Amino acid sequence: MATRTTGTRSRRKPAATAVGDRDPDLLRRIHKFMVLTRAVEDRMVAMYKGGDLLGSLYTGHWHEAISVGAASALRPDDYLAPIHRDLGAHLWRGMEPWQVMASFMGKATSPTGGRDGTLHYGRLDLNIYNLPSHIPANFPVATGMAFAAKYRGEDRVCLAFCGDGSTSRADFHESLTIASVQKLPNIFFIENNQYAYSTPLRLTSASESFAAKAAAYGMPGVKVDGTDALAVHDATAEAVARARAGEGPSLIEGVTMRMHGHAEHDPADYVLKELYEEYSKKDPVELFENVLIEAGVLDVDAAKQVREDARQYAIAARRKALADPMPDPGDIEDGVYAD
Amino acid sequence: MPTDSGTATYLEAVGLALDAEMDRDPDVFIIGEDVGQFGGAFKVTKGFLDKFGPRRVVDTPIAETGFTGLAAGAALVGLRPVVEFQFADFISCAFDPIINVLARHHWRTGDPMPVTMRAPFGGRLRAGPTHSQSVESYFAHVPGLKIVMPGTPEDAAGLLISSIRDNNPTLYLENKYLYRRLKAKGPISLDPIPLGVAKVVREGRDVTLVTYSAGVHQGLEIAEELDKDGISVEVVDVRTLVPLDVETIVNSVKKTSRAVVLHEAAKRLGYGAEIAATIQEEAFWHLDQPVVRIAALNTPTPTSPPLEDAVIPQPAQIAETLRKVARA
Repeated sequence: MATRTTGTRSRRKPAATAVGDRDPDLLRRIHKFMVLTRAVEDRMVAMYKGGDLLGSLYTGHWHEAISVGAASALRPDDYLAPIHRDLGAHLWRGMEPWQVMASFMGKATSPTGGRDGTLHYGRLDLNIYNLPSHIPANFPVATGMAFAAKYRGEDRVCLAFCGDGSTSRADFHESLTIASVQKLPNIFFIENNQYAYSTPLRLTSASESFAAKAAAYGMPGVKVDGTDALAVHDATAEAVARARAGEGPSLIEGVTMRMHGHAEHDPADYVLKELYEEYSKKDPVELFENVLIEAGVLDVDAAKQVREDARQYAIAARRKALADPMPDPGDIEDGVYAD
Repeated sequence: MPTDSGTATYLEAVGLALDAEMDRDPDVFIIGEDVGQFGGAFKVTKGFLDKFGPRRVVDTPIAETGFTGLAAGAALVGLRPVVEFQFADFISCAFDPIINVLARHHWRTGDPMPVTMRAPFGGRLRAGPTHSQSVESYFAHVPGLKIVMPGTPEDAAGLLISSIRDNNPTLYLENKYLYRRLKAKGPISLDPIPLGVAKVVREGRDVTLVTYSAGVHQGLEIAEELDKDGISVEVVDVRTLVPLDVETIVNSVKKTSRAVVLHEAAKRLGYGAEIAATIQEEAFWHLDQPVVRIAALNTPTPTSPPLEDAVIPQPAQIAETLRKVARA
């Protein structure tokens, strides 16, 4: 890995990455969390339509291979700085679906007790940063977490996600610049889902790819098929190993499609039909399930059971979140300052 | 770093306090532009790189958003970063992480955010509109930030130590005009001075002057002068804007029944507006006269000396105002 050159390297392959001799338990676990992510988000779309939620709902349909695939390449003590398409990474880390639902409902039991809401539900006890809306404001914070690990001589790394739209902001440029000159153990993951709200790629960047930008920062950049969980996992694992070895940050671009609107209120009628058609054949959850079934890691009945368990889990989560209390405004001025 | 703290300037007092905290706590580090091999634009961190090494004295690219956010992330996982902004004017480049990341994180999540942000601010150095600004009011409006503005070398040391030990994001504004013009009256104490405690720096009977930073020295000089005319001015140095020691201000106003507020930031929505409003809410029936604000004109800070002097409060104007309020 030390000999690896800086620049872009395409990992996009015509067929899904093969399972090879990987640990079947890890494969089944990745599958389980991808299925759970989809089930929880489908449930939450229904909750949005049914009026259970406060505002809009931000989902990560077709981001499951990225969020679970990348998070599964980390250790639990590594830091994670996700965005609103990364429910799968949260769940992988131990976030409970009912907590996420509670966040979108402003419940007292949400990770912020209803003070913040919707997609702002990170938990530091799970080494997950709870970001504000100003994405990629999580990027500079991610460099700080990586800086602290290096400062203390620990071999922890920090994985941060952003979208294609985020790459235009100063936070992105300044974080990649600082991380590379300081050789920080960061993995910067761009989830290229074709649209920044309504803005298409052609109005966001004139670069041949986002991964290509890595060369300018003096770090490796790699573009992967973001619907291929194992391609994502492998690319992340390689970047994690590099960071852990003290060789500095990496940039990964995972290409997928935002299959819902920016949020559920957005009909996304500006999206090219051809993109929906192309990506409807590339459902990352289905693709990975088929890979496991073909490889004999999972049988059809077991896969069905995983889906049914996930559905029931999401139903139970909604029930709990609905029953949970709303917060008491009596202490709203507490905690503006820490003791 | 000065060898004899008895002669420490305001600038050296800042350096002494930072040095002492870095000695005391291995989690404290300094990060910013030119703070390492160059020793900082004003030389506050001169010698720090040799003593503490590049791990704890971190030179950054010109990237205020980046290194302020980095400090937030490091603080979240237990370090105590001290960020140096080369000039307070450049803090606007880090507005987003300060407002949206640092200031509200604890209230949102309960996680402490111990980041100290040092920034040299203010005018009188003929540095013009983008090197002379007083930025305190932008940030005083934001819940979750503390704002510290020492006026003496002694306070500069003790308040910086408290800022670094505080579990909140703290904006520590150093008056760069005072850096080499003020010397400590004795050895610098490295004991912390609590945030949120104002100080009556001169007792008086006729009028209270509420001020901070360079205003304290202007106020004390003018108070001596007015004393010769039989006007007794009490000078209150608020020292920290957030939290504000309302009690000390109000007690002084109740005693003198007249109040003038002085700062070198622009008048409109300057911090003096908050102090004046607080005085009328808490001590209205004790007042013999309306509270008067002395502040800079509502213009950018000009470069050329006659222009800058026309914008920033000058001694004659301050003396005249105090005289008028005291005798009216």
